[in-house]
Amino acid sequence: MSETCAIRITGLEKVFPNGVRALNGVDLEVKEGEFLAVLGLSGSGKSTLLRCINRLLDPTAGHIEIFGRDITRVEGAELRALRRQIGMIFQQFNLVKRHSVLVNVLSGSLGRAGLFRSLFLSYTAEERERAQTALSRVGLGERGASRADALSGGQQQRVAIARALMQEPKLILADEPVASLDPALRHSVMRHIEALNKESGMTVVCSLHDIDLVTRYATRCVALRDGRLVHEGDPADFTIETLRHIYGAEAEFGFHG
Amino acid sequence: MNTPVKELTPSLRIQAFLTDGALLTGAGLMVQFLVWFLFLDARDGVLESAQDLLGKLSFVPLIIGSAILAALWQGAHGTVGSSPGLAFSGYQVEGEKDRPWSQTTMGWFLLLFVELTFFTGWVVTEVDLYTLLTNFPKAAGVLRGLFHPASSVLFEGLVLLVQTLFLAFMATAFAIPPAFVVSFLAARNLTRKTWLTRLMYTAVRTIMNFTRAVEPLVWALIFISWVGIGPYAGVLALWVHSIAGLVKLYSEQIESIDNGAVEAITATGAGMLQVLRYGVVPQVIPPFLSFTIYRWDINVRMSTIIGFVGGGGIGYILKPRVDLGEWGEVSTLVLLIAVAVWAMDLVSAKIRERIV
Repeated sequence: MSETCAIRITGLEKVFPNGVRALNGVDLEVKEGEFLAVLGLSGSGKSTLLRCINRLLDPTAGHIEIFGRDITRVEGAELRALRRQIGMIFQQFNLVKRHSVLVNVLSGSLGRAGLFRSLFLSYTAEERERAQTALSRVGLGERGASRADALSGGQQQRVAIARALMQEPKLILADEPVASLDPALRHSVMRHIEALNKESGMTVVCSLHDIDLVTRYATRCVALRDGRLVHEGDPADFTIETLRHIYGAEAEFGFHG
Repeated sequence: MNTPVKELTPSLRIQAFLTDGALLTGAGLMVQFLVWFLFLDARDGVLESAQDLLGKLSFVPLIIGSAILAALWQGAHGTVGSSPGLAFSGYQVEGEKDRPWSQTTMGWFLLLFVELTFFTGWVVTEVDLYTLLTNFPKAAGVLRGLFHPASSVLFEGLVLLVQTLFLAFMATAFAIPPAFVVSFLAARNLTRKTWLTRLMYTAVRTIMNFTRAVEPLVWALIFISWVGIGPYAGVLALWVHSIAGLVKLYSEQIESIDNGAVEAITATGAGMLQVLRYGVVPQVIPPFLSFTIYRWDINVRMSTIIGFVGGGGIGYILKPRVDLGEWGEVSTLVLLIAVAVWAMDLVSAKIRERIV
């Protein structure tokens, strides 16, 4: 069983120093190769859940296993080794704005690169070639020399995907990857994330707002509300009742409008 | 200010009590001083003997009285209105914030306090409008000299002005590497993680605040006796002060960076130095450059004063001419400095505008 389980979360809790209880006993399993969508209102705990998985945040209680290994309390070199296996894509892209697009992609390999060379932004020809290939895959092969902040939002998110590709992770965490993009550009970014899942065989956990995107890209879907899992199922079976269960009474407005 | 506090904790009460006590004692001392000055015929040489003055003021009854008053005010703040100490600690009586100052006890108290300070200050600093208005002829000679710059020191002044610019530049350049390294330890957002880094943060901040609080003039005196009179002592004096100044500016910049890139680089499995190099440094380099140029600008201004005590530069030849009353030559030198400072200001503002 544990071989096919990419993530196994049991009783996960996260209480922030200011007393906010963001996660309140979450149990979740993600199979290898899945594209799992995480739904929920802002503040329901989606971001916190994703950040606990790669330990950008330290859980207060509960356990997280990644590919069968308990990583709830790992530190130092072990923690970095864990993070190397997990690519992350952010709502605000989080590129290094003043660096070139290519260096941004190359920074995906920092977990492996030699410390000294990486501090001087010096990379081997092989690494540069891999970065160039990753850029071409997201359709930005020509833009390697541009400064990252010269690109549009959609392009910047594709650079972030190339950075994740460069990292060669087994698992991708995407935190509202298209929420700050123009609706017309959302599919272009989502298709690249789908490609990470289908072509490169990476397991994807992706928080999303838009039900259309969930039904189109996700293989399974869970929903959080006030730090608890309130729904789990096949995106194809969505009904207004499910939505109302997830979002509360206000969901009606969004769905009819 | 800070967010309003709803509950009066014991530590808050003590804090407020001490603040109020100090304010009331201060007000009491000033009243006593003014009464003594106005009614007890002490107009000649108010502060000639501090010993004498101290004997005239009665501290102990005042402090005790203020303590009682402060305690009473705190006890009755529900009816009287909150005291300055309570407000300063972030606690205010319900609805008081919405009333104009003239309808609060604290408002009137503070108005009285400021007025007391003003009148006491008038006496303490020996303000004398009569002399200012009638004694002008004595200053006429100086002013005439200042409006007739003498060309005799123009060449020497120019040479030393160039030295001043270099002096300020070297002090800034030497200050960059230590300030750059130390500023990361002085940034709160990077030092929160462990108790060791928090301790370093506190230590670095304390040392830097102290260094900055010591006037560059004092540093100059130290280094003049260390390496001798001349521009090198000036460079070292401004260097020490610049490190502290730059660390403050740099670390505040580090504290205001966008955390997104830091998060993203951390998530790739990068180590601490790599996170700093990729997530932090690119964001802070342009503002750092801008602050450094600004610091050079400040150092040019400061080096004049440093020169007065023997730290090289144009101030070094200015001092004897002031002492001898060579107002024409003083005028030339002052004009040279003014032009240099004005030009530096203009150029540095332009460059900083371009960078950020």
